[in-house]
Amino acid sequence: MERNELIQAVDFVIHERRSIRQYTDEPVSEEDLRMILEAARQAPSGENAQPWRFIVVKDPETRKLLGAIGAGGSGRRFTAEFVTKQMHERFKGLEDEEKRKAVFEKLTSGNVSAFLADAPVDIVVCGKKKVWDLPYDTSAAIENMLLMATALGLGTCWVIAPCIDIRDEERIKRLLDVPEDYKVISVISVGHPTRPHRPRPRLSLHELVHAEKWGTPYYKEEEA
Amino acid sequence: MNDRKLSLGYINSVLYDLEKAFWDERGRGARFRVTTVGREYFLDKCLPKIQSQDLDAIIKAVEDVLTEEGIVLGQSHLVEDRLLHIRVEGCLHQDVERKLAAKDVEPFTCIPANLVALAIEQVLRRPVELAEIKLEDGVCNLLLVLFEPRDADV
Repeated sequence: MERNELIQAVDFVIHERRSIRQYTDEPVSEEDLRMILEAARQAPSGENAQPWRFIVVKDPETRKLLGAIGAGGSGRRFTAEFVTKQMHERFKGLEDEEKRKAVFEKLTSGNVSAFLADAPVDIVVCGKKKVWDLPYDTSAAIENMLLMATALGLGTCWVIAPCIDIRDEERIKRLLDVPEDYKVISVISVGHPTRPHRPRPRLSLHELVHAEKWGTPYYKEEEA
Repeated sequence: MNDRKLSLGYINSVLYDLEKAFWDERGRGARFRVTTVGREYFLDKCLPKIQSQDLDAIIKAVEDVLTEEGIVLGQSHLVEDRLLHIRVEGCLHQDVERKLAAKDVEPFTCIPANLVALAIEQVLRRPVELAEIKLEDGVCNLLLVLFEPRDADV
């Protein structure tokens, strides 16, 4: 492949990636699954520790439980945000009262993370604790998976809700027999998207990048 | 073994440093990683005192342990539908929250709240979420949310 084509392909994949929460019934092929896991295996890690381990979950009953744990975690977290009015503050820009109500209901119900039950494959990412750079290493592996899945025309979602709270992480560890010296990092749902999704907004480079020291934008507003 | 009693100032300064370090590492996500802090104490001291399946009685049992052990001077609660308001007076760890607040760090963990949540979850299988810790005039006002009982499998 020519260098320019390669750059365009990488750029396309990075920009095309979406967080997909609705999937068709079409299964993920073993070839595709292997490509995704191989991409994870090639990620960088501190001291080349390769602390990542993956559990491929296809069993519908187990996926249902993952979905329930995810929904429980999200429901608790968002309800706490709702009752303290922080959610109202976060969505103050959403002026349509009906839409606001619908968003609040969806978030506080936890349904926003229940879709793990409906994805054909959930990949549970675990990390070995006895390494120095566990969160960074596993995050690099996860991003590789998301990009490879996108290149394959698949949809993914990086879901932290089922394990962000230590109580839920403990449930997943019991459910999947994860040993004590490993931590559950995230669950990645994989499947065929039901529809195309628009990109979510991103902050401009003007807002994100500083020149030499914190405070001076590297890019002028019009450049970003 | 060194069995000298530790000063409260020493314990709280170490707790503050630990919490601050954890906040610096994990930001607002830190709160979700400390929801089981106090579990050993709960199993050892609180669970044996819980003799009822009644929500008020469960919370009261934890409050009694905390006051009898001198961890708080007083603790009371009010259940309002799914909201649980807890008022904690004279908590031994209050200085930790005060120091965190002075550094503009939102208090993100509370042992009395965790013990109550652990008790409700253990006895009633009802998930509980600590939503807010407000430190006002030497009193901590806690807001917790109670959820419906979980399915046995989860």
